[in-house]
Parts: sequence; C-alpha cells; structure tokens
Amino acid sequence: MLYRALLPMIEVRDVSRWYRRGVDVVHALDHVSLHIPAGRFVALMGPSGSGKSTLLHLLAGLDRPDSGEVIVAGEPLSQLDDDALADWRASHVGLVFQFFNLLPVLNAMENVELPLLLGGLPRGERRRRAEAALGAVGLLHRRQHRPNELSGGEQQRVAIARAIVTDPDLLVADEPTGDLDAKSATAVLALLRELNRAFDKTIVMVTHDPRAEAFVDRVIRLDKGVLVDSGEAA
Amino acid sequence: MTWTGFVVRNLLRHPLRTALTTLSVALSIFLVCAVLTLPAALNALFERTASSTRISVHHEAGLSYWLPLSYVQRVKAIPGVAAVNQFTWFGGIYDEPRNMFPNFAVDPETVAEVWPDYRIDPGALERFRRIRNGALVGEETFRRFGWRLGQEVTLRGTIFPVNLTLQIVGVIPASGNPVMLWFHRTYLEEAMEPYGGLRLVGMLWLRADRPEAVDGILRQVDAMFRNAEAQVTAETEQAFFASFLSSFRELVRLVLAVGVLVVGAVVLIAANTAAMGVRERIPEIAILKSLGFRRRPILVALLAESTLIGLVGGILGAGGAYGILTALALAGKTGAGGFLGPLSGFRMSPQVALQGVAISVIVGFVAGAIPARNGARLNVVEALRRLF
Repeated sequence: MLYRALLPMIEVRDVSRWYRRGVDVVHALDHVSLHIPAGRFVALMGPSGSGKSTLLHLLAGLDRPDSGEVIVAGEPLSQLDDDALADWRASHVGLVFQFFNLLPVLNAMENVELPLLLGGLPRGERRRRAEAALGAVGLLHRRQHRPNELSGGEQQRVAIARAIVTDPDLLVADEPTGDLDAKSATAVLALLRELNRAFDKTIVMVTHDPRAEAFVDRVIRLDKGVLVDSGEAA
Repeated sequence: MTWTGFVVRNLLRHPLRTALTTLSVALSIFLVCAVLTLPAALNALFERTASSTRISVHHEAGLSYWLPLSYVQRVKAIPGVAAVNQFTWFGGIYDEPRNMFPNFAVDPETVAEVWPDYRIDPGALERFRRIRNGALVGEETFRRFGWRLGQEVTLRGTIFPVNLTLQIVGVIPASGNPVMLWFHRTYLEEAMEPYGGLRLVGMLWLRADRPEAVDGILRQVDAMFRNAEAQVTAETEQAFFASFLSSFRELVRLVLAVGVLVVGAVVLIAANTAAMGVRERIPEIAILKSLGFRRRPILVALLAESTLIGLVGGILGAGGAYGILTALALAGKTGAGGFLGPLSGFRMSPQVALQGVAISVIVGFVAGAIPARNGARLNVVEALRRLF
C-alpha cells in the first residue's frame, strides 16, 4: 500500500505546449515538470490563461505536448497514435466537464452506459455496471430521467458516474463545480473526495473554487504557463 | 442501449426535421421510380408486341407518306410471304377530340394469318369478316369508352372527309394490342367513293412462313421497290418498333436527366441536413472523442444516420410508387382507370423498386459522407476550447 502510494500515477517531464494565435506564439505551458502519486486528489489552480486546462488535457491524453513527456499509469502518452490514445482514454481515464455535457437524447442510465459501448461488454453487464456507477453517486432512482429533467448538481453527478463506470485509473475534472450553486458544488466536491477515498481513485481537478482546497490532498498552482507551487509539502 | 439505439435516438432528436428530410427523399425516389419505369415499360410493350416473323413495309420517307395499293399484290407474290395485310391510319375521333386513339382500316381476310399471336377469338374474327362495318377493338380502349359488343360507334374523320359508323364485333386481347381499333378497308373505300376513291395505303404488314425466310423477304422487298415511284423501307417488327419508339426514347432520356437532377437536388438537401446535424453536435462529438471513441465509430454512427434516412425514404418512395403504379395498372385493367390511357399499361417492376431503394441508400450515404468525415476528424481540444 505504501509502495502504491509512492508510485507516480502521473509524471510530467519538462513539458511545453504552445499555440499560434495569428503571428503570436502563446506559451500555454512552459517547461512544466511534476509528479502525482496514485490515489491522490489534486487540484490545479491558477488564474485564467495560466495553463491549467492545457495541462489537464495533456494528462487526459486529449492533447500532445510540443516538447517533454507525459507518463500516466506507466504509459508514455506521446508514443501512442490517435487510435491507441483513444483506446487508452477509454480504459484509463474518466472525464468530468464544467457543463456536464451529457447527451440530451439519452437518459441518465444511457449516458452512463455510453463509454461501455466501446468495451464490447454484453448488454446485461453494461447495464449492471451503469447501475452500480449511478448507485455510487446516489442517483439510481433518477436513471430514466433525461438531462433536461435533472438539476445541475444531479447532471454533474451523472457525469461523474459516466466518468467512473469504466473503473479508470485516473479521473480528471475540468471546473466540475463551475456551473453549480454553492450547495451542489460542495456536494460534488464531497462526492469526488469520497470516490477518491473509497475507490482509491487518482483525481486531478482544475478549479477556481476556493472551497475545493478543503477537499483535496494537494494544490498545484500555475501562472502564465509556469508551475509556481507544486504543492509537494501539502 | 445499443449502437442502433444510439443512432435512432440521434435521428429522433429533431423529429420534424428528420421527417421532412425523409419525406423529401421519399418524394424524389417516388419520381425517380416513376421515371425508371418509363423505359422498362416501353421495352416491355415493345417485346410484348414484336414478332419474329412479322415484317413492316412503309414509305422510305416516313409513316405519314402513302404507298400505292398495288404494292399489296406485288409483295404477296414474294416467296416465303404467308400473308399480307395493310394499315391505313384513319385518325378518327370518338365523341370529342381528346378521345383520340389509333384506328386503322385493315383487310379482315388476313388478320388471323398476320397476327395469330394476338389470340383473337375465332368467333370475333368470323363476325369481323362477315359484317361490313364491323370493328375489332383493343381491350383497354374497349374498357376506356365502356363499349359493348354489338354497339355502334361513330368515328369522326380527321384525315378523311368522312365519318364512319362501326359495329363493335370483338375485342383484341390486351396481350396482343390493347389500344387499336381495326375496321374494314373496303368500308372506308366505299365511303371515299364520292371523294374520288382510295387507291393508296398507309403501310403493309407481312408475315413470313418461317423465321428463316425473313432476311430473304426483306432483301426482295428492297430490290422490288428500289426504283419504284414510292420507295419503301422493309424491316422486322422489332426494328420497326425500335425506330418508332426512338422519338419516345429521346423523351425518356430527357425525363431520366430530370430524374438525375432531382436526385442531385435531394443529395444537397440531405447533405445540408446532415451538415446541420453535425455542426450543432460538435460539443457532443468532442465529448464522445474525449470518452475514447475512435474516429471510425463516430464516422459510422454519423453516416448511419443519413443512410438510415435514405433507406426509410427509399422504402417509402419506392414502395409508394410501386403501390400507386400497380393500383393504376389494376384500375386500367378493370376499366376504372380508363382515363389513364396508355399510362395504365405502365407497370413498375419490383426490380425498379429495389433500384429506387438502392439509389436512396446511396443518396443518404453520399449526403452524409462529408459532414460525417468532418465530424469524425474533429480536433477534440479545439472543440473543447469552443465548449468552455
């Protein structure tokens, strides 16, 4: 257990990412290095444009660095082609977004079941796992409801159920409380904390929400693409 | 939930839009099937009526030029000719001008020999030979005007300055010739006496005594009239119909071109709908990609939507065309659709219906191809940036 806690789930080695905006080059990340052990709940904080979301996209395998290396769960992501990266995301990463992004034509149960369509599981098994995930976020009784019939907090809990249904190693959340009222935001943070503790999930969350600091193990701060506080002492 | 269910749910996201697109595809496929039926129906008509031993002889300059009556006896003398008949287009109108139909003065004595394949009732043929003003009528024309056997009908002459009152003595089965009316040549000649008589004939129909004799007869007819006052063209019935229908074929080509344009227009409509569908779902496609969906399943799901619209539209359009044309053909058969005229003889084959469905599926596929490709190639980070 001690060994696992020290094992880095995430290793970011001297990563830079820049974008062209017209004639200008914007350095979203500038030589960032950090490591996050497995089973930690980490918040990425910083002002807008600090590179938080860019770093989150790199950790989730949604984007590739211009230089440096990102290793997640022992997998150097830069060595994977697009399809392999998609497969890797499907089995290793769960994503939660600020605006929930549930598919409006599917009910809660079907939204949660969606990532399992990729795994080739039998229909019954997919249903069983989706029910378990919905149960874990306390929304099994709302499984037949479509997103527009759920509150913001409920939609975010369904999105979290969708993120954990494949039992991923890593959960990444981009401003999960950004579109919620205070009560719902606290409930979502508590849920993430519970998932982290109960299922030993590694969670990396981008947030502006100061309440989040009370729920996480560590806060990493970025500013203008540079790591200003790795939060190692936390 | 299944992949199919996922595709269907997405299609039902905007039920009205999907229904309207499907209906536009269905309507165009309906038209395309009707258009595709035209050449098939013409071919069927042509194959049905053409005989391997019947030969037409007409003026080299065209069907509207006359031949001397003496040609009848001259061709009768050619070895291998079993029988000769003659057609003189009367152009009579029954009751009112819109009731025009093909009616010809013929020789009643050789009808059975020249057209044995028409299977005209022997009793009717006997009456036709015996009754001076007797007439044989194609089954569909007979039904179209609601005539009865023994009834007298008057045809108003448009080419000849005479009106003829004819007695219907028999019916030519639809499998032979469904629309023509035949009456005695001598009856017309008598009517024309006050006007100087009738010494000309429209065209001749010969029957060879065996198929192998046909080529020889054609050569001899050509040689016989090569330097005559009225030079002729002799050709088999198949060749005659082919040249007769060639003007229709131009029309068919034009109609087919219109059909192609209709399909093109529908591809654009369906492509626009597919593009709208993809555009408004960019955030969802980004989410699917972030969840680990590869390009291919996203491409397949998006393509499946437009192809499914094509399939359903095709089934509705082709099925509707098949049902309506079959119903019209049946109505024509029973007489209820007499107002349709020759159209009532156009029957749509199941093959044309299947072609319609296939075209429709291709339309759906082509319409969805580019929007689906663009959706599948979406850059997930770019799309997520637009999202947040």
